[in-house]
Amino acid sequence: MVEEKELVAALQTEAEKEKAFRELVAQYKERLYWQIRNMVLDHDDADDVLQNTFIKIFRNINSFKGDSKLHTWMYRIAANESITFINKKAKRNNVSIENVKDNALRNLESDIYFEGDALQLLFQKAIATLPEKQRLIFTMKYFEDHTFEELSEILETTTGGLKSSYHIAVKKITEYIKTHED
Amino acid sequence: MEKENNIPNFKVPEGYFETFEERLFSKIAEEKFPKTTGFKVPDAYFEKLDERVVASVTEVKSGKVINLFPKKYFGYAAAVAACLLIGFTLFTSPANDSSSLDALQLAAIDTYIEDGNLNFDIYDLTSYIEDKDIKDIDFEMHQFSEDNLEDYLIENLDAATLINEQ
Repeated sequence: MVEEKELVAALQTEAEKEKAFRELVAQYKERLYWQIRNMVLDHDDADDVLQNTFIKIFRNINSFKGDSKLHTWMYRIAANESITFINKKAKRNNVSIENVKDNALRNLESDIYFEGDALQLLFQKAIATLPEKQRLIFTMKYFEDHTFEELSEILETTTGGLKSSYHIAVKKITEYIKTHED
Repeated sequence: MEKENNIPNFKVPEGYFETFEERLFSKIAEEKFPKTTGFKVPDAYFEKLDERVVASVTEVKSGKVINLFPKKYFGYAAAVAACLLIGFTLFTSPANDSSSLDALQLAAIDTYIEDGNLNFDIYDLTSYIEDKDIKDIDFEMHQFSEDNLEDYLIENLDAATLINEQ
């Protein structure tokens, strides 16, 4: 695996850019995909957002100054792209963000790319009740195992704030599952 | 003589014991959550993804340089354009206010931007701005009154942001 610093240098050199970009895609495609999928739920939507994320990374790599780590910067772009996608979808269909999430959850029940059981479906419904940023914090910590320190860099929020937001999210999800379980 | 307790020279992070229960009960609650999402992807999706991503990126890149019209047609095109220009100048009214940019109402421009048609985000914008430009921006704080700042914060800060920033 190529070191991050070398990769950035290659990405910012016109002659090596494409080869380095292929390496970058190979290294990060799955991690970024799952981060996005956990937010937008639908596979096709996740695929669109992932493509846009990589296009943005490619276009803006020359302005990447190295103030944060490359992967932190990419996760941040993916997070922003996911939230922007949900907001745009709501605006385009002239509905609220809650409606967009409700539709995505309804579709999940018949989605061929979702093979979760009743509890996993209920879990997704509970997660969908969280505000966007809290949902991002919860899914990135719970499913993708980011540390609070990493999340603090990605989401530019204090670790204290992240921790309390995460614990509040766990509490809300627990309550939701308790009330909606048969 | 009274025996002194040996106190180890260890420290704990600030607020560690105060928030211990919160973290513990959160961990216990998490144990009951499903460990996986139940999501899956189409067969060989990740294997084919690299090529699709690289293709879409090079498409965007090459979009700027594709030569739609070979140079040999430029002469004919210029001649046609010149004829059309003369024709329009002679046969149309000299000023048509409704088609000028000034006539575009601000509200229409606002709606256009709000509808998401001006597809710029922070990453696009920063790629057009040089460091020097940012330094030249006049960030005079006195142009925002305290009342305006307060109104802005009340209207734009949501509960989630406050929780996250506390």
